[in-house]
Amino acid sequence: MSNKLDITLQVNGEAQTLRVPPSRTLLDALRGELALAGTKNACNQGVCGACTVLIDGLPMNACLLLAVNVTGRDIISVEGLGEGGELSVMQQAFVDAGAIQCGYCMSGMIVTATALLADNPAPTREEIRAALSGNLCRCSGYVRVVDAVQLAAERLGQ
Amino acid sequence: MEFHQPTSLDAALVLIAADPEAMLLAGGATLVAMMNAELVAPSALVSLRAVPELRTIDVAADGGLRIGAMLSHAALAAEARLDGGNAVVRGAVAQIAHPSVRNIGTLGGAVAHGDPSSDLPAALVAANAVIETAGPAGKREIAAEEFFEDYLTTALQEGEMVSAVLLPAQPEGATGHYEKFARVHGDYATMSVALVLAMTGAECSFVRIALGAAGATPVRVAEAEACLLGSALDADAVAAAGAKLVAASDPVDDVRGSGEYRLMLVPRLLARALTAAQAKSETRS
Repeated sequence: MSNKLDITLQVNGEAQTLRVPPSRTLLDALRGELALAGTKNACNQGVCGACTVLIDGLPMNACLLLAVNVTGRDIISVEGLGEGGELSVMQQAFVDAGAIQCGYCMSGMIVTATALLADNPAPTREEIRAALSGNLCRCSGYVRVVDAVQLAAERLGQ
Repeated sequence: MEFHQPTSLDAALVLIAADPEAMLLAGGATLVAMMNAELVAPSALVSLRAVPELRTIDVAADGGLRIGAMLSHAALAAEARLDGGNAVVRGAVAQIAHPSVRNIGTLGGAVAHGDPSSDLPAALVAANAVIETAGPAGKREIAAEEFFEDYLTTALQEGEMVSAVLLPAQPEGATGHYEKFARVHGDYATMSVALVLAMTGAECSFVRIALGAAGATPVRVAEAEACLLGSALDADAVAAAGAKLVAASDPVDDVRGSGEYRLMLVPRLLARALTAAQAKSETRS
């Protein structure tokens, strides 16, 4: 019923060619066509933050972006944060701080927190909470999430 | 569904004129969410992301600003030229939803959506902004106070779009403040007070107030402002102004609060907003 378009997306440093209908969100294209399932689908309304990715370095909800409308932009998903198969400093800090419970919201949290430290290398706990206000955790383990971001900031600052 | 990505405003207008079921895609923070929820199913989308003329900020000779419709809330929250009285707009956009949504949502998209619970409409009415629209018959300029006509209903005609928001040069020494009361960080306002204030000595010499989430459109009451003009913003004057705003408000009952509760917030938030704006004005002088 719907026409499809051939597009090229720059995802985690690589050009990816895919064929999608215009209504396909970046979230569905990442998880479906590109088999990058680290980005999670929860609310599909831009409320929960589970699908957060970096677009030109800025955190955005992949469920609110159409794949056909983000051609030519630098897209980084949680799979693109680490290098050479290693976890990024932020990912490791989430593990070490015990911030992860069921884990469903974690990729969005980690992507958002990565963008925060790129912009503000030594945030206060209040600034961390404000930056992560759009990332919901239904296990409600927010205290250790904030601990993890502080731990990452300390490690990156050394 | 068709997808178009024109590179000029004129080309975008031709595309939406050709198809009455086509919709303009600004940032997508609201439109894509509505598509995901199957509330809208446009026959075509006309993306505005590649239209450079919608992304500029121009400063007029008198100090007024013309802000392109495609600038994101995050960009405007960091815009230093939104100072003085126009800081009311900066204060509002800085409190729209969350950082990831502010990176997506745009000024023009939020204005065209016309949601009275959202943060921009009241701030734009308080700032006495003018909405610039572009359409088949050319550009129009509509005062924000007239632009928001009803719940999700604006003065936009078929085939028209919001092309820019014009903010006037505010009175000398004016400060702006947006006081938002919400259940949690990033929620829609339960009630909000947007205002531009100027003091001459201890006396209020200029004030313009609009409430958000107080009715189907932003609520502005000239008599409420008259209660404050010439006063020292003493408790009696603020209470009188608050009572006039309450009398003109008709907030909904919903999950964010009953209408009765929201009305109780009005005078309290007004006092907070005036105190905050006055404090900024003392810092500046």
